[in-house]
Amino acid sequence: MKGILTDTTKCIGCNECVLACKRTYDLPADVPRRWQKPDGLSARNWTSVIRRPDGVYVRKQCRHCLEPSCVSACPVGALVKHEEGPVTYDNGKCMGCRYCMMACPYGIPRYDWYSAVPYIRKCIFCYERIKEGKQPACTEACPTGATIFGERDELLEEAQIRLEANPKLSLYGRKDEIGGTSVLYVSDVDLSFLSFGKDLRGHEAPPHATVPYLASIPVVAPTVFVTAWGLSWIIHRRMENQMETSSEGDRNE
Amino acid sequence: MSRIRLAKIFLWSIVGLAAAVAVKRFLTGLGATTHLNDSIPWGLWVGFDVMGGVALAAGGFVITATVYVLNREDLHHLTRPAVLTAFLGYIAVAVGLLFDLGLPWHIWHPMVYWQHHSALFEVAWCVMLYLTVLALEFLPVPLESTSRFAKVRRFLVKYRMLLVAAGIMLSTLHQSSLGTLFLVMPFRVHELWYSPIIPILFFVSSVALGLMMICFESLVTGYLYRRKSETQLLATLSKATVWVLSVYLLLRFGDLLVRGEIGALFEGSWESGLFIVEILISAAIPIAILSHPMTRNKTGGIFLACTFGVSGFVLNRLSVGGITMLRVTEASYFPAWTEFAVSAGVVSGAALAFFFAVEHFNVWETPAREPTPEQTPAAAWARAQRLWLGSTFTAGMKVHSLAFVLACSLGFGLLAFGEERKMGVDATPVAKARGGRILRIDGNRDGFHVSFDHETHKAKLGAQESCKVCHHLKKPYDEYTVCSECHADMYLPVGIFDHDFHQVKLGGNRSCAECHPKWRNRSKETVSECNECHVRELQLTVEGAPIQANLRAKATSYTDAMHGLCVTCHTEIAERIHRPEHGKCGACHQVEKPSEEAPSWEKQQLFLSNRSVITTKLLSDKVDLNRYLVEDEDGAK
Repeated sequence: MKGILTDTTKCIGCNECVLACKRTYDLPADVPRRWQKPDGLSARNWTSVIRRPDGVYVRKQCRHCLEPSCVSACPVGALVKHEEGPVTYDNGKCMGCRYCMMACPYGIPRYDWYSAVPYIRKCIFCYERIKEGKQPACTEACPTGATIFGERDELLEEAQIRLEANPKLSLYGRKDEIGGTSVLYVSDVDLSFLSFGKDLRGHEAPPHATVPYLASIPVVAPTVFVTAWGLSWIIHRRMENQMETSSEGDRNE
Repeated sequence: MSRIRLAKIFLWSIVGLAAAVAVKRFLTGLGATTHLNDSIPWGLWVGFDVMGGVALAAGGFVITATVYVLNREDLHHLTRPAVLTAFLGYIAVAVGLLFDLGLPWHIWHPMVYWQHHSALFEVAWCVMLYLTVLALEFLPVPLESTSRFAKVRRFLVKYRMLLVAAGIMLSTLHQSSLGTLFLVMPFRVHELWYSPIIPILFFVSSVALGLMMICFESLVTGYLYRRKSETQLLATLSKATVWVLSVYLLLRFGDLLVRGEIGALFEGSWESGLFIVEILISAAIPIAILSHPMTRNKTGGIFLACTFGVSGFVLNRLSVGGITMLRVTEASYFPAWTEFAVSAGVVSGAALAFFFAVEHFNVWETPAREPTPEQTPAAAWARAQRLWLGSTFTAGMKVHSLAFVLACSLGFGLLAFGEERKMGVDATPVAKARGGRILRIDGNRDGFHVSFDHETHKAKLGAQESCKVCHHLKKPYDEYTVCSECHADMYLPVGIFDHDFHQVKLGGNRSCAECHPKWRNRSKETVSECNECHVRELQLTVEGAPIQANLRAKATSYTDAMHGLCVTCHTEIAERIHRPEHGKCGACHQVEKPSEEAPSWEKQQLFLSNRSVITTKLLSDKVDLNRYLVEDEDGAK
C-alpha cells in the first residue's frame, strides 16, 4: 500500500503542491465563498497549506484512512478504498446525500455548493498516476522533500528514523489513530487542529461503532416479524376462546 | 368562512412560496438557496424533513401494532387517520429528500448500488419498503368507494396481518437506524447526545412520538372539521405514552450515568442548557401533564402535552443532526428563509393531501358533525344575472389557486432581492459604514475594518464621476468593488513583504505614515525603502551573495521585490542545466523555525516579520551558483 509522508518541519509554505494539484486536475481559481471553511480546502482546492500563527506550515489533504469512515458511510458505494491506498469518488454513483462529509473525522470532503449538479470533491491521491507507476503531483512538486511518496511501510520506517533523531517530533497516522491512515504526518507541533481539535490517536476506527447494529439486522428483522405475527395470533386465539367460553357460560345459565 | 377553508388557503399560500423556492433550488443548486456549508453539510432539510419527518410518521406502525397485534379493537377508530398520516408523512420525507439531495435524480441508486456497510443504505431500503407497505395498508380505504377492485381490496384485507407485521419490522429497523447514522461521528456529536445506544433511544422515542402524533393529529383535525373529539380513546393512548416516555428518560439518564458524562449536564455551556430544555419539553412536561387523570382526560391537557412532546422530539432530532456540532466544527449555521419555506411547504402539501383524503374517502368511519362546504351543492345560478357562478368546489379551487399564485409571486420577488443570488460571496457591510469623512468599512470582506477616507477617494477618482468605480460596477453576483481590486499589491497571498504584519506591528491603521509619505500620493513609488528600518538584516543577507544589485529595495510588490532579483535568473539557469528544482522555492528557502524551548517574543517576531530574510540562506556554502554559470558557459563553448 502506498502512502504520503508529510514533515511539517521541512515545509516552507511555498504552495507548490497546491499549484501542482490544481494544474493536474485543471481546477479553476477560487473566490472565497460563504460556505468554505477557513482551512483553504474547497471543491476547487483539494490540498492546502495552512500557515499557523507560530509560523509553522501544515499541509492539509485527505488522509486516505485504512478504514475510511466516508467509504463505510456512503449508501451507494460511490467512495471506494483501493488496494494501492487511494480513496476515490465516482460521480456516476453519488446521489448527493453528503453523509461522507458528516462522517469524515477530519472534515475533508467538500461540496460543489455553487453548482446545480454538485459533486463531492477531495484529494484522490492521484489514483490514475499511481496506477501508471508515477507519484502524485504534489509530492513530485515539493521542492524541499517535506511531503514524500512511497510504500506506507517504508514511510513508517523513515518516520521512525526521524523520530529517533529528533525527540520533539511525533508521528500521526499509525494503526492506533482510527485504524491508520495512508497519509502520515511527522510534526513538532500538535496536529489535533486537523481533526476538530481532538487528537485521534488512541481512538478506534469510527465505522466499528456501526458494525454491531448493522450485523444484528438479520437477527432483529425476522425476530420482530415473527413476534408481531405470533403475538397477534396468540392474543386473537385467546380472545376467541374467551368469547366461546363466555357464550357457553351464557347458554348454561 | 369555516376553519378548514381558512386553513386550506393558508396552506396553499405556503405551498406557493415553497414552489417558487423549488424552482430556484433546482436551477441554481444548494449553495444559492440554503445556508449549508462545508462544515455543516446537513441542515434543516435533513434534520426536520427527513429525520423529524420519519419520527413524526411513527404513528402508523405504533397504532397498527396496538390495534392488530395487541387486538385493541377499542382503538380501531384511530387506525385509518394514523396510517394515512404516516403514509403522507413518508411521502413528505421523500419529497424533502429530493430537495436536499445534491443529485435528486439519482435517488434510486441505493436500489442498484448496494453498500451494506452503510446505515443510510439500510434506512433508504427500509423507507422505500415501508412506504410501499403503508400504501397497501391504506389502499383498502379509497377502494371502498368503488366496487371495481373488490378482489384487490379483499386480498389486501385478508393478508393485512402480513403487512402489519412487515410494517412493524421495517419501522423498528429504520427508526433505530436513523440513530445508527450518527454512530460514525463520535468526534462531531456532543457527548451529551452521542451514545452507543443512540439507535435504541431513537426507536423508543419514535414510539412515544408516534403515540403523541396520533393524539395531536386527531385533535387538530377534530378542531378544523368540528368533529366530536375522541378524548376517551386519546386518554388511553396517553397512559401508554407516559410509560414509553418514562422508559425513554430512564434510558437517557442511565446512559449518561454509565458513560460518566452526567457531569457535562452541569458545565453551564449552551449545550447543557439545550439538553435540559430538550428533556423538559420532550419528556418531563408531557409526563407531568399526562400522568394525572384530571389533565389526561381533558382535550386541552392532551393537546398541550402532545404539542410539547412533538416539538421536543423534533428538537432532539435537530440537535443530534446538527445543532450540537456547531461548537466542534467552529461553524455557524442558521437556516435561510428559503429552507424554512421548503420545509413548511412540504408539510403543508402533506396536510392538504390529508384533507383531500378525509373529504373523499371514509377515513374516519364516523360521519362529521357538520358537512364540509365542498360536499354541499350550493346554489350555482345567480338567477337575476343569469350567470354560472360554479359550485363551491370550483369556488374553493379558485381561492386556493389565487393564494398559491400570490404566494408564489411573493416568493420570486423575495428571491430576486435576497442575498441568495450572490452565490455565496457575502455582501460588504458598506451600508453600515460609520463616521463622516472617514468611514469604517470592511472593504475586503475579511473581517477587518479599516478607516476609509471616502472624500479623498472620491476626489482622486474624479469627483461625481467616480461613484461607479466602486459602487456600480454591476459585476455578476456582486455589488461593490473591494479595496484589493485597486490596491491589488496589498493582498497578494504569497510574498516576502507582509503588509498586514507591518501595519499591525506599527500601530494599526494610523501607522501608514510610518512608511508612506504623509501628504503625498501613497503608492509603491513613494514608499520608504526597506533598509531605512531594516538596516542590519538586509546587510546580513548581502554578505557573500553573488548578486549585489539594488538592495535598497522598496516593497514594490511582494514577489517582485526580492524574487525579482533572483528568481528570473534561477528559472532560466534551471532550465538550461535541466535541474528544475533549482528554479523552485526550495532552492533558496530553508526552514529555520524559532527554537522550541525559548520562543522569546523578540525572536518570534523577528522570525515572522523577516521570515524570508532569516530563513532564506542563499546556499552559497552548499551550492556554488557561479559553478553552474561557468559550466554552462563551458558547455556553450
